[in-house]
Amino acid sequence: MANILLVDDDTKFLNATTELLRMLGHTVHGASSVGEAKSMAVASRYTHAILDLILPDGSGLHVLDALNAEHHNLQVALVTGHASIKSFVMNLYGPNIKYLIKPIDLEQLNAFLATSSDGSSSRESGIKKHFGHLVGESPVMQKLYEMIERVSQTQANVMLVGESGAGKEEVAASIHVASQVRGNFVPINCGAFSTELINSELFGHEKGAFTGAISRKPGVFELAQDGTLFLDEITEMPIDLQPNLLRVLESRKVIRLGGTAQLDVNCRVVSATNRPEHEIARDKKLREDLYFRLAVFPIHIPPLRTRRDDIPLLVEHFLTDLNLQYNAKIGIREEDLERLCQYDWPGNVRELRHCLHRAYIMADQATGKIRLPERIQSPFSRVETTQSNGIHFGKTVEDVERELIQTTLEHLDGDKKKAAEMLGISLKTLYNRLNSYTASNSYSE
Amino acid sequence: MKRSTSALIHDVRNPLNTISINAELGKLTLMKNGDINKALQIFDVILAECRLCSKKITELKESLQDDSAKDVLKDVKP
Repeated sequence: MANILLVDDDTKFLNATTELLRMLGHTVHGASSVGEAKSMAVASRYTHAILDLILPDGSGLHVLDALNAEHHNLQVALVTGHASIKSFVMNLYGPNIKYLIKPIDLEQLNAFLATSSDGSSSRESGIKKHFGHLVGESPVMQKLYEMIERVSQTQANVMLVGESGAGKEEVAASIHVASQVRGNFVPINCGAFSTELINSELFGHEKGAFTGAISRKPGVFELAQDGTLFLDEITEMPIDLQPNLLRVLESRKVIRLGGTAQLDVNCRVVSATNRPEHEIARDKKLREDLYFRLAVFPIHIPPLRTRRDDIPLLVEHFLTDLNLQYNAKIGIREEDLERLCQYDWPGNVRELRHCLHRAYIMADQATGKIRLPERIQSPFSRVETTQSNGIHFGKTVEDVERELIQTTLEHLDGDKKKAAEMLGISLKTLYNRLNSYTASNSYSE
Repeated sequence: MKRSTSALIHDVRNPLNTISINAELGKLTLMKNGDINKALQIFDVILAECRLCSKKITELKESLQDDSAKDVLKDVKP
């Protein structure tokens, strides 16, 4: 557990955060001024310091100077309202300072407090997070890590292709980390913008450029200057707006809406889609010229079902996170882990995390183990692999047919008409089969 | 003296920050020991901060309207 110095002149925030961190088992000393914090810095040894930048009698940076003189291996986080302060302070104090961006939540606090003196994430499970973001040691993930390493040495634009929930944003963030660039990682979702606003979001606008443009606003290319711009769901960008993006990528210059000055663009563009490449071309979701600009280096992210060996690691990683968040020690039974490893996870890592979170909330407090639902199933998928289903050597055609009919009926909530349609048989045949199963059950009983 | 826009934005972020931390504290309080009275106190803090936040947003809005009115006047030359 951490020994924390918390410095903030907002007493309501100071008191609530102190109480929150103490409930999580940490030792916390609170101070509301530079003077108070300096005397505390001398009086005690801290593992972590959380400092507000603006204090009544100076700055959190003054406290930082005092702490640096007294403490070695101290982890420091500055509380700031805006990420733009990062580059300014980084120039002064180096890259080891962390930032908590207001409004602060438990996830941010836990991520900072899980950081040890060597700057890496020191989780109790000891699971390695590659590039600080990715978990998994399977061969397909090793190949992915190699591709990230390779492309990080270049300026090439990257297109990530992977199923929903496979971790495209985590891979994009990993490329950003591996590239060791000065600028920020700026993620945007191209599917989330309205047609009217997308140009303003991408390129920015000048004050008065259109109704409602009450002040100058930088676009995402500017925000990602010297860093990485992540364009998620790129194939959802309307086709008629794609030439504008293409022009920026080709000229490496951007003009804000309503402006005249050309601004230089210097950032890597990582785009992502959950559509396979042949579908992008077939359905004309991206202009061909834009595709080749964006996909200089395409990376395919493996779905979770192709790296089942990583499921135990991911489960341990997510349970460690949840235990840290709720200050508890909930584990998993061997047979439950086995069930998780057998499931196909059509929603990939996101679905696994969601399933574990739910099972964690439902955990059996007496045994200290998570409680999985009877059926693991995504509402977005009808695929489930169970021990009883599937084709195995030694099964008869009748057995397989019976399982198929039963599974289909279960998935359709017993709707026989729909089941018959799906199975490609007549309703009468379906009833005949079901009657024969009932008869054979009675006979065997 | 009139406060700058960035100072007013800073003023809005502070109550949001207190709301966020108190929401986390409320969640943890209910999950760990189910202390309803403590949770009610925390909800009161959150509500008060919401009101403060609303007040600050109104100040920010008025300040931006003032600025834009001045800009219009600046453009109108006698």
